Amino acid sequence: MKVKVISRSADEFTRERSQDLQRVYHNYDPNLRPQEKGVEYVRALNAAKLEKIFARPFIGAMDGHIDAVSCMAKNPNYLRGLFSGSMDGDIRLWDIASRRTVCHYPGHQGAVRGLTVSTDGHVMVSCGVDCTVRLWNVPVATLTDSDDSPDNSAEPLATYVWKNAFWAVDHQWDGDLFATAGGQVDIWNHNRSQPVNSFQWGTDTVISIKFNPGEPNVLATSASDRSIVLYDLRMSSPARKVIMRTRTNAISWNPMEPMNFTAANEDCNCYSYDTRKLEEAKCVHMGHESAVMDIDYSPTGREFVTGSYDRTIRIFQYNGGRSREIYHTKRMQRVFCVKFSCDASYVISGSDDTNLRLWKAKASEQLGVLHPRERRKHEYHEAIKNRYKHLPEVKRIVRHRHLPRPIYKAAALRRTMMEAERRKVERRKAHSTPGSILTAPLRKRRIIKEIE
Amino acid sequence: MAGKKREAADFTTAMAERKRKVPDSTKDRSKSIKKPNKFNKSGGGRDDKRRSRSGPRLPAPLRKVLEGINPSTDSLNDSDENISSDEANDFYEYEEPLPEEESGKNRRFDRVENYLYEPSDRMVDENVFSEDDDDENDYDGSEDRASKIENSHGRRGSSKQLSDEDEDDERLLRVLQGVTGMPSEAFEGKKKKKKNVVISEAYPESEYNPSRDVLNGNGQLTIEELVDVLHGEPGYDALRKGIHTTDKKSISIQAPLPKVEREKLERNAVYEQSKKDITKWEPLVKMNREAPSLYFDEDTNLGFSTVGAIASGFEPRTEFEKKMALLVNDDKVKEAYNEDGSKLLELNKISVEEYLEDRNHIAKMRNLLFRHEMKRKRIKKIKSKTYHRLLKKDRLKAASAEMLMDPEAAKEEARKQEFKRAEERMTLKHKNSSKWAKRILQRGLNAQDDGTRAAISEQLHQHALLTRKMNTMKDSSSSSGSDDSDEEDVDENSAGSDQDEASKLFAKAKEKTLKVLQEDDEVPTSGVLSLPFMVRGLKKRKEEAVEEAKLALQEYESSLKELEDTGGEENAKVGITSGRRVFGVAKRDVPVPGPSNKMKTDDYYRNTDSEDDLDENIDVGNGMKNDLQKDINVDSGFLNEDAESFDDVVKDPGPKTSHDVAIFASGTWKKMKSGNKVDANIKKSTKVGKPVLQNQEELAEESDTDSEGQMVDGILSAAPKPSYELPSQEELVRLAFAGDDVEDDFEKDKQEILNEENPEPEKPNLIPGWGQWTHVQRKKGLPSWMLEEHEIAKRKREEALKKRKDAHLKHVIISEKLDKKAEKLHTKTLPYPFTSKEVFEQSIRVPVGPEFNPATAVGALNQPDVKKKSGIIIKPIKFEEVNPHEKPEEHKEHKRSGNNQKTNRRKGAGGKRVGVRPVVVKS
Repeated sequence: MKVKVISRSADEFTRERSQDLQRVYHNYDPNLRPQEKGVEYVRALNAAKLEKIFARPFIGAMDGHIDAVSCMAKNPNYLRGLFSGSMDGDIRLWDIASRRTVCHYPGHQGAVRGLTVSTDGHVMVSCGVDCTVRLWNVPVATLTDSDDSPDNSAEPLATYVWKNAFWAVDHQWDGDLFATAGGQVDIWNHNRSQPVNSFQWGTDTVISIKFNPGEPNVLATSASDRSIVLYDLRMSSPARKVIMRTRTNAISWNPMEPMNFTAANEDCNCYSYDTRKLEEAKCVHMGHESAVMDIDYSPTGREFVTGSYDRTIRIFQYNGGRSREIYHTKRMQRVFCVKFSCDASYVISGSDDTNLRLWKAKASEQLGVLHPRERRKHEYHEAIKNRYKHLPEVKRIVRHRHLPRPIYKAAALRRTMMEAERRKVERRKAHSTPGSILTAPLRKRRIIKEIE
Repeated sequence: MAGKKREAADFTTAMAERKRKVPDSTKDRSKSIKKPNKFNKSGGGRDDKRRSRSGPRLPAPLRKVLEGINPSTDSLNDSDENISSDEANDFYEYEEPLPEEESGKNRRFDRVENYLYEPSDRMVDENVFSEDDDDENDYDGSEDRASKIENSHGRRGSSKQLSDEDEDDERLLRVLQGVTGMPSEAFEGKKKKKKNVVISEAYPESEYNPSRDVLNGNGQLTIEELVDVLHGEPGYDALRKGIHTTDKKSISIQAPLPKVEREKLERNAVYEQSKKDITKWEPLVKMNREAPSLYFDEDTNLGFSTVGAIASGFEPRTEFEKKMALLVNDDKVKEAYNEDGSKLLELNKISVEEYLEDRNHIAKMRNLLFRHEMKRKRIKKIKSKTYHRLLKKDRLKAASAEMLMDPEAAKEEARKQEFKRAEERMTLKHKNSSKWAKRILQRGLNAQDDGTRAAISEQLHQHALLTRKMNTMKDSSSSSGSDDSDEEDVDENSAGSDQDEASKLFAKAKEKTLKVLQEDDEVPTSGVLSLPFMVRGLKKRKEEAVEEAKLALQEYESSLKELEDTGGEENAKVGITSGRRVFGVAKRDVPVPGPSNKMKTDDYYRNTDSEDDLDENIDVGNGMKNDLQKDINVDSGFLNEDAESFDDVVKDPGPKTSHDVAIFASGTWKKMKSGNKVDANIKKSTKVGKPVLQNQEELAEESDTDSEGQMVDGILSAAPKPSYELPSQEELVRLAFAGDDVEDDFEKDKQEILNEENPEPEKPNLIPGWGQWTHVQRKKGLPSWMLEEHEIAKRKREEALKKRKDAHLKHVIISEKLDKKAEKLHTKTLPYPFTSKEVFEQSIRVPVGPEFNPATAVGALNQPDVKKKSGIIIKPIKFEEVNPHEKPEEHKEHKRSGNNQKTNRRKGAGGKRVGVRPVVVKS
């Protein structure tokens, strides 16, 4: 007699594809697994260590300029395109993917101080100390760009000569206005050889200018009189000025929070402001050992990158007082400009050593296509690391950074000085009439006044 | 708006004044433009000099010509001349007389202002004047102006103190004259106006002098006068009312603020406005910040999606590509191709018949193919072994036939065979080396069914065939069947031990006796033997014989049993020790509960009841002679049983009787045996019981002998002493813990622990080094700082001891030692965003791993803060309305939260996070 028996092979009904791993069924009763917390803690520790092991942020350097890189601009419509201007008047278009020069833009007589690209990515605007603003056509990105010969140079679409040297330029988001900074703030149209509008508040040179990407008619400038000024183009008037103790070198608006911007200051710190409450900074981002030269927000609005005169690049959380990441190499000199790529995964820096450098925004991130299971694993590691980041061991590993000796020493020295100052204030306070000495919080201390 | 704000803010009088003077620059300018005209109309009649400089004038060249013609028409042509002087004279603006407001004649423009300023006109006058001045100078100094205002204030105060109006007026006039450089009449205009009712010259009615109000000193039109003309017309009342209200509400035009102030106010307004504008983002930003994760990877535009799309966008670039494109797009080539194609089509034409034929053919072929396929399918489905065997046979037959016919095929066959043989020699595939065969052998061949056994033997046969030498290959197949059995028999005989032989002999003897018995059964019915006495004799003899046979059988059986027991063991031993096992003997060797001869008996006595055979293992004879055997059995069983069963029945009749019945019904050997065993057990138990009793008795005796109030093993014997008293509890405790001093021990322990956790400072010793060998140190003693340090350390220790939790608890030790391993798992302080320990612990309580959570929850638990894909451009935020009461996942298509639980992120820099991870409820 033939006996038919129900028999199922486990691998037939548990796998979706033959390549899949065997699915294992779990009983999720926590009573069965009393050690889960311990297990996860150890995993978090291992994840932290792995992160350190895989932290290889530097991707490559882009070599070509023959003088220090003074400014950069990213193409908001094309990820691979990046413009850089140097102190000798050279402007180059780089293909980040192949890390090669695609195009040259000769013409500037002195240093190029400002570069910007229109939102549609068709027009690039440059300005420099030779008192000219030049508009350039951006070559349309095609699939076969890379095999073209690298020595193609472009002619400017237009050259506008103006009264004073320019320090910075920025393009309006989704509009055809751009603003230059120099002796005054000028608002230009693409098609007119003279500025549409000019603002002057005070007599000092304006050194940086940035349009608000969320509110295209609002812009902020910083000037050499240590001030930060807000402008509103709808009313065509400046709105408010804050004077700090030290100069602000650059400003970046948070693209996801139009009311907030962060200012890179000469006093090694960055200050995040809310435009509505300028009497105090929302957050002070500390960490650099020398003046912060440039700042750029990640398009996600959750972090920003800063480049400093101390030869390091740091990445901060938008609300973090200390940097999340410090990048440095032996050969990188003073960093003059930094940019976050438009997909928020790379950071580009231009420095005194004539090179542009490409970094990963997340040092230990795995590049390339990720298998879903792999991705899930990464996410899990991230989650448990985040969960146990307050415990001493994990904290120590996650925070640990190896720094070049000069920077390390400078940091120690700075700490000492700050501590001494703090002690001094404390003692003075202790020995004087109670209430006679008031200490302002750090967020207010560096602000002199707000001018209406 | 800004002015209003300021009004709320400022309370000082100066500020209030300034507020009232908020000007409109355009108004101001229009005023200044109109001024010359005004003056011409009103004040022209009074002063020739002034008149000559105001009003509509001729251009300078024209005037010269006119002068040449008529030098005496000065008064008549004054207006023309004025015009010319206006053009020519650079200082006209400077010398311009005071405006109408000041002279009190500007009621046409703003009568109300005049009323307002009447009580303090001096101050206002000066102000207005300076305002004009400022206008010209483009507001250079605000401070100057402020000081002027102050001056005027001061002056006014002093004049009031004097309380001499005339004197005051005069002084003021002088000052004004000095400042403005204008005649005093200009400032006294108002006073004089009222006095001078009589006018020397009557003005001719003209467009500049339309009314006769000049006689009243008001050389100007009022709106009422203009409106009066319309009296009686429809809408007149409404118009008048409107004018009335505007008159009432009208505000005086103030002096414009200095540019700095103005700009400041403007900036303030702008800032407020932009602040308000930017606040609209707040709910959106808040929502994004509170969302557990942001999604930036949703809108993906990959551009080209199909190959066709890419191909259509292709443009030739390189030389080669261009050449190719030229060729492809060449007209001639195209034409040729088209023509050729059409030609080919023409050639391709076929008739309907041909086509039909073709189609039919194809259909037929397909039909055949289908049938064939179906057939194959059916054949493939057949599972019958016989069918396949037959099929195989056929195939073999065909092959052999071919072999016979074709020498090549034969050769091939031989080669194949040879290969197989070699393979077999190498792999021993058929020599029970397969997993299947091994398993079967392990379980025992006898446990298998016939089919399996046959298969095993078949396999071995195959092996033998394949490994046999070449020359014997052919005849082996024919002789194998008989040979095998013979060999087996031989093997059996040879391999079987002496016991086997003996058992066989016994079996034979038994057979013979049984035969005899069987033979006896047949009672002759006819002849001499059928006679009654003969029958009786026969019966007697038969009974005797049966008795004998029975005995003999019993003997045989017992001896056989013995033989089997020993033989089985030995066989097993042999089976183990023998290196090579032959299949035939293996059957015997395997220790099976059923004895080997049973099978034989089965074979021999096919007629017997099979069930009996199965049940009764030993009594072979039973089967042959059922009735008799059963009787015997029953008898013996009954006899054996009787003794016990009676007892049992007495004890508990219920179950035992049924047991008995069962025994009777089945009448098996085993059951009886078990009964015996039980009996034996009982006996044993009784045997055991006895010594125990004896022991007890002995013990009792012993205790009796030395029962003099002694404590033996903690049991007091019967108390012979009447004076014994029970000790108190304390005493008992003391007695119980007589040897050990617990309290002291505890003290010591505590001290030790204290010392361990707060170690005592070391006593300062002499320092090695200078002076050590000269006893200087010893003489001087230790340095004071060392002693001091020691003192401090001691004090610190004492303080620390005092601070301990168990400092005041005498009988408690609370360890304050830090467990280093456990310390790793705790934070020293509460981490920043958390406000309470509970919340923090809650946040790390539930595990998030895939081992501890179902797959549906893991994704949500492990979500990263920002989900993005590299290579996708993230655009800045776009404004959209957010309903703050809605859940975040509803309105944002690229920002949705994966799970319902919200983790409250930090709000801004100073916010707090109350992070509560979701709790997965186990189901």
